[in-house]
Amino acid sequence: MDGLILATSECDPSSDVVICAPDDVNKLFEFTDPLFSIGPFDFTRTVLLIFIAMTIILVSLWVGLRRTQLVPTKFGMAIESLLTFVRNDIARGIIGPEGDKYFPWLASLFMFVLVANAFEVTPFINFPLTSRMGLPLTLSLLTYVIFVFVGFKTNGISYLTGIIWPRSVPLVLRPLVGLIEFVSVFILRPITLAVRLFANLVAGHLMLTLLLVSGVVFISNIGSIGVKAVWGFAWFAVGMGIFLFEIVVIVLQAFIFTLLSAVYVETSLHAEH
Amino acid sequence: MVEELKGAIALVGYGLAAIGPGIGIGLVVASAIEAMARQPETADVTRTTMFLGIAFTEALALIGFVLFFIA
Repeated sequence: MDGLILATSECDPSSDVVICAPDDVNKLFEFTDPLFSIGPFDFTRTVLLIFIAMTIILVSLWVGLRRTQLVPTKFGMAIESLLTFVRNDIARGIIGPEGDKYFPWLASLFMFVLVANAFEVTPFINFPLTSRMGLPLTLSLLTYVIFVFVGFKTNGISYLTGIIWPRSVPLVLRPLVGLIEFVSVFILRPITLAVRLFANLVAGHLMLTLLLVSGVVFISNIGSIGVKAVWGFAWFAVGMGIFLFEIVVIVLQAFIFTLLSAVYVETSLHAEH
Repeated sequence: MVEELKGAIALVGYGLAAIGPGIGIGLVVASAIEAMARQPETADVTRTTMFLGIAFTEALALIGFVLFFIA
């Protein structure tokens, strides 16, 4: 809400502007003032929301799965189908039969990213946690550690040599392909995994904030600016359209993040040669 | 003056970086739709593979997005 209030108070619809934009967009993402502190730990809005996301997941899992029965409750059914989807489509579908070993990690990843993304369109929160680079980066580094560890554990040192000296490639091209593969596996993979999630949510949050705030500001000042308030209706309509689109993006990005984590582990498990 | 110019060039660069992946994602989705229309019974596998293809193609646009912030 801080970002919204800030943008609203800074925007003057009677001037030449047709859309409200804060002079520094970082203000929409950075909440540095601690809300409260426990001991040496400051709880800013972002940190508090991370704990709220964790609580939501734990409580819904506990409520949904505390009693497994033949005919589950509606909520239990929803949680079960979510977990079944992750197990069948992601863990077993991508990694194969040994995917069950990675199911708890994939399910935690999926649910946390889903809830953290969903804060973007939650009323009164309106802030996607994953639009701060720290969170997706941490999650993708966790994936990185896991898939590198799994690769060395199952294939030994041939995991590394298979990447930098691929035997299926003609000898002339081997150094070049090896270099490209090395950079793409060990450097680009974790970066793109994190940036994909981050960029999508940053773009979504920016579009929603700018369009909806501009719409509200222009429409509420209809008395003083007259016919120029038409801009407000246009921005608001576009904003509502993007709101629906963002709901799709939220679920899709959580799915893709988990899917790619599973794919990376799979390529480490079944490394070529 | 120089600062403004720098920002504008970064914007153009990101626009250029989005062309290739845009075409690429279009090709991926077009082929996936064709495959699903030909063999609807394999639609589930095709859909997962399509998202994977999109995710890998998108990586190039994302590198441009990062460079836009770094520049």
